[in-house]
Amino acid sequence: MAVATAALAGCGGGASQGGHGLEGIPGPVAGQQRGGTLDVVSHDGFQNLDPGASYFQLDYQVVYATHRPLFSFRPDDFRRPVPDLAAGPARVSQDGRTVTVRIHPDLRYSPGTVSRPVRSGDVKYAIERGFGSVVANGYASSYFGDLVGADHARGGPIAGIETPDQRTLVFRLTKPFGPTFADALSLPLTAPVPPEYARRFDRRSPSRYDSDPTVQAFTGPYVIRRYQAGKLLELARNPVWRSSTDFRPAYLDRVVWRIGVDPNIAGRQILSGRRMVNGDTPATAIVARAVRRQRRQINFAPQGNRYIALNTQVAPFDDVNVRRAVVAGMDRRALQLTRGGKVAGDVATHFLAPTAPGFEAAGGYRGPGYDFLAKPQGDLAVARAYLRRAGFPSGRYSGPPILVVGDDSDPADKTAQVVQAGLRRLGFRVRLRLLATDTMYSRFCNVPAAKVQVCPNVGWLPDFPDGYAWLFAPFDSQSIEPENNTNWPQLRNARVDAAIVRAQSITQPAARARAWGQVDRIVTGLAPAVPWFWDRTPNIESRDVQGVIAQWNAAWDLSFSSLRR
Amino acid sequence: MAAYVLRRLGWTVIALLAVSAITFAIFYALPSADPAALRAGRQANPALIERIRHTLALDQPVYVQYWRYMKQVVAHFDFGFSYQDDAPVRQQILDRLPATISLTLGAVVVWLAIGLPVGIVSAIMRRRLVDRVSMGGALVAISAPVYWLGLLSLYLFSKDIGRLPLFDGAGTYEPISQDAGAWFGSLVMPWVVLAATFAAFYARLLRGNLSEAMGEDYVRTARAKGLPERRVVLNHGVRTAITPIVTVLGLDIGILLGGAILTETVFDVPGVGRLLFDAIQHADLPMIQGTVLFGAFFIVVANLVVDMAYALLDPRVRL
Amino acid sequence: MSTVDVTRESLPHVVAAEPRAPRIGARSTPALVWRRLRADRWAMAGLAAIVLVVAVAIAAPLVVRLAGAAPPDLQSPGALDAFGLPTGPSSRHLLGVDPLGRDVLSRVVYCLRVSLEVAFLATGLAVVVGVLVGVLAGYRRGWVDTLLSRLMDFQLAFPILLLGIGLASACSLGRGCLGGLVQPGLTVVVFVIALASWPYVGRIARGEALSLREQPFVEAARSLGASDMRVVLEDVMPNLAAPVVAYSMLIVPTNILLEAALSYLGVGVQPPQASLGQMISDATATFDTAWWYMLFPGLALLVVVLAFNVVGGALQEALDPRGRR
Repeated sequence: MAVATAALAGCGGGASQGGHGLEGIPGPVAGQQRGGTLDVVSHDGFQNLDPGASYFQLDYQVVYATHRPLFSFRPDDFRRPVPDLAAGPARVSQDGRTVTVRIHPDLRYSPGTVSRPVRSGDVKYAIERGFGSVVANGYASSYFGDLVGADHARGGPIAGIETPDQRTLVFRLTKPFGPTFADALSLPLTAPVPPEYARRFDRRSPSRYDSDPTVQAFTGPYVIRRYQAGKLLELARNPVWRSSTDFRPAYLDRVVWRIGVDPNIAGRQILSGRRMVNGDTPATAIVARAVRRQRRQINFAPQGNRYIALNTQVAPFDDVNVRRAVVAGMDRRALQLTRGGKVAGDVATHFLAPTAPGFEAAGGYRGPGYDFLAKPQGDLAVARAYLRRAGFPSGRYSGPPILVVGDDSDPADKTAQVVQAGLRRLGFRVRLRLLATDTMYSRFCNVPAAKVQVCPNVGWLPDFPDGYAWLFAPFDSQSIEPENNTNWPQLRNARVDAAIVRAQSITQPAARARAWGQVDRIVTGLAPAVPWFWDRTPNIESRDVQGVIAQWNAAWDLSFSSLRR
Repeated sequence: MAAYVLRRLGWTVIALLAVSAITFAIFYALPSADPAALRAGRQANPALIERIRHTLALDQPVYVQYWRYMKQVVAHFDFGFSYQDDAPVRQQILDRLPATISLTLGAVVVWLAIGLPVGIVSAIMRRRLVDRVSMGGALVAISAPVYWLGLLSLYLFSKDIGRLPLFDGAGTYEPISQDAGAWFGSLVMPWVVLAATFAAFYARLLRGNLSEAMGEDYVRTARAKGLPERRVVLNHGVRTAITPIVTVLGLDIGILLGGAILTETVFDVPGVGRLLFDAIQHADLPMIQGTVLFGAFFIVVANLVVDMAYALLDPRVRL
Repeated sequence: MSTVDVTRESLPHVVAAEPRAPRIGARSTPALVWRRLRADRWAMAGLAAIVLVVAVAIAAPLVVRLAGAAPPDLQSPGALDAFGLPTGPSSRHLLGVDPLGRDVLSRVVYCLRVSLEVAFLATGLAVVVGVLVGVLAGYRRGWVDTLLSRLMDFQLAFPILLLGIGLASACSLGRGCLGGLVQPGLTVVVFVIALASWPYVGRIARGEALSLREQPFVEAARSLGASDMRVVLEDVMPNLAAPVVAYSMLIVPTNILLEAALSYLGVGVQPPQASLGQMISDATATFDTAWWYMLFPGLALLVVVLAFNVVGGALQEALDPRGRR
């Protein structure tokens, strides 16, 4: 998943939590208070609250409090998905081509929607509708595309999803993709949607299930009672939800989410006010103030990675030495400062983040040991040496100008300008274009035909805790697409592809993690991008809030947070 | 009169059509983010994007798309859905309208209350100290960018960060129906800042018109008749000088109702202008198009109203 | 009294139902105008300020060097604190630095360049188009006049800020617009601003042309068989110069503010090229602590615009044949 707008931090598998940035993240505590209203304040609004379409950190905070996918995560353990709508773990067949899930027997939908228990057919419909152009789920084809019959799915029935009875789901796959598929069942696409109720909403594009989420049939502890896009969202208790069926405590009675508040104003209100938490990333000035004066009201949750993609398919970055020169010449300390300095994250030395399985095998914090990544502030001498090796005797690049397309929102625009300065130091003439996030992706960085040479504002968050979710989409040659491409450097390398195939086939966790670490080493050595940041997302709360962070989402878990007495 | 009204209405409709066609052409010919890719999400495959393109009629020629858009706008008052959050554009604009109306009308009161007296006094006291000081001040107010004045006043006077915390700061807007006190408090600074340049402009305009009027024959006649100066100024001078101001006022209100984008942005007032600003930040084209059309609607209607008022007051206009 | 006013929220729009041409007599000689201006202390101060600003803008690199400031694009991470927040005025950075550690003083100086460049170019373009269209309409009269006047009316009644935002955002987001003719950045801004201001010039030119056409000396020339082209070039144009110049002086500050507003909204001058409006917009994220980043670009803007407004107003008064009112 792309950083900055989309988010779902997974990870896990690492040997110990110590030193991976997980210390000090508030989890559930004993004797939390029940009742009361929590105010969430954010600048950004929601993108999709339809569980079939949602794919964004902000949206997930609401979707996972109002819906129950087959599996989800406890806030303090993102390594193992726990059964949610499912009644027990998923069973993967020996050949890896069949996955069976039994669902909870007596769960119901929120009042006023459907007055019958949740059935396995509802999950089937939920996944099927994701393939249609009305719901248009973004990841359905990546993780559910190996279901039998999914390749031609247009929103209609998919043969590979069978419901032998009202409690059982059998998924049949065309490839032995079972273990990875089972992990993907924690994505919100598996939250049940009753077909006889939702079909009429799904006739219109966009579905009213998304544009007016109050009509949804909820299964989670909360329902969306009120929603004004770009302004306000209100959650209230779901009267038919039973705590005996769920691992979520759901302490709060009500959540009022205000959207469109300036990040500085929001931050000040939260730090000095009552009953408030942030919904999206607080402003740097607020982070600085909280760290200096209100340390107990701020915490940092590790998230994904950020890197500068260099287009390996066009000159001059089709030459590995030019790429290595750029990696060497980049001042990653200055880049780190654009996102809030050391507290907000570490200077990256490779791609797998500290919380990812295989981080140690990939070199840990010190990195894999390549000379072009040795100095965080950049190393001009090394850069010049690589440029000389690439055929620029002066040690300065002297070819035609290069196109750099970045994100114009704060602080990404700062990052892009530091990248520009770094390239200029090496002699590059740079045409920098800064655009709205979506424009940058959908017209430029995601489209190989646009021939953008450098995309300075990309990054990755895994969809679930596995090396596959970290490295396949960004670096495997199979994930290069003419549109919506996620392999931004367009890396086509047989060694990388082979190493990924090998890692994917390993089931033993420690060996699998090592194999992914090896993939990362190979990728880093090819320098398809400049890894520069492993994020830690700041979250702030008012003094009287007992906030709990969902580590998998690096944001507050509304079903676990509570007020303090 | 009826013929004039009809003709004028006809022009209004044509103007609106032209505005809509131009904005549509701009956004069609110069697309930013790919709407189909946006709707599909980050990892969707190209086949899905192609189908969405078809559903949204993005594969049709521009005139077909324009026709479809206008049909929705005219028949259902439907401006489509935001790319950003799939919410209906019309609903969002209507939600934001009360804030914009509050900001505009309050500011109008403030600038008339300041601008008119200052203009009159300056005209009477021409070239004296009062006049020089107030016209100098007016020139400064006209020369200062409103968003900068806004930031400055927040820095100095807002309760949360101000050095002299007097007024509610940015982002404190409450609907009047929920809390009239908070509504008033939150709008004091935006009103004054928005009104500052308008007040200055109106004062200058009135001063100019009034001193011109004071030189006219009928004013001299009135003076010669021995009327007290107060009455000469107010009854004869101001009455003539005020007419162009009423015109300007009508147009200004029309423009501001379409969204006081700069002021709303600085003070985080959730109005139509702020909506447009956010839409620009996200390159959310249906939202930009909807708000621009909506703003154009108010301006064109304001022009119509002003012209009608003129025609009513001055029969010579109806040529 | 200025007739165009875009300094307000509304930006360019019809100020009165009918923008009036400044009352300017054909017989106000440059010497007379200058004498009148000389007598106005404020006008002289404004003129001095303009000269100073223009000089600073032209000699920006030299000024920055003399002030001992860093070049405008030089990023000094060392001037940021541990959180990457900018630091305030110091002996090294007289007006502090921005969030990338760039010197605010040298950026303001270079931004003045951009402001003036855009304002002059846009005003020039507006004057050329406005005069051509206006003279054509006023001199030709008939259906040409009707058509062109309607066009100008329409444009004046058009929500030009909204159009500007639409056009500027559309042109700035993609690869430029009108088949690549209008490239994002400066060109878009100049184009949009010129589009916003030419009808004002056009109306004045038309009015003047209409009345000049009836003047005895023009009629005489025509009866002597001079071609239309020649009459326009030799008799109409020279007499248009004074009102148009005076009027342009009033449009320049307006256009400076318009450029700043568009850039503030993110649809004007695009980064990494700096502009005053964009600096102010960027400063909103940190202005409660990094006040210098908000204050100084705004002050620079205020001073420049004020200087032009003072001089423009004085020039108009000086050109008024009825003398100082």
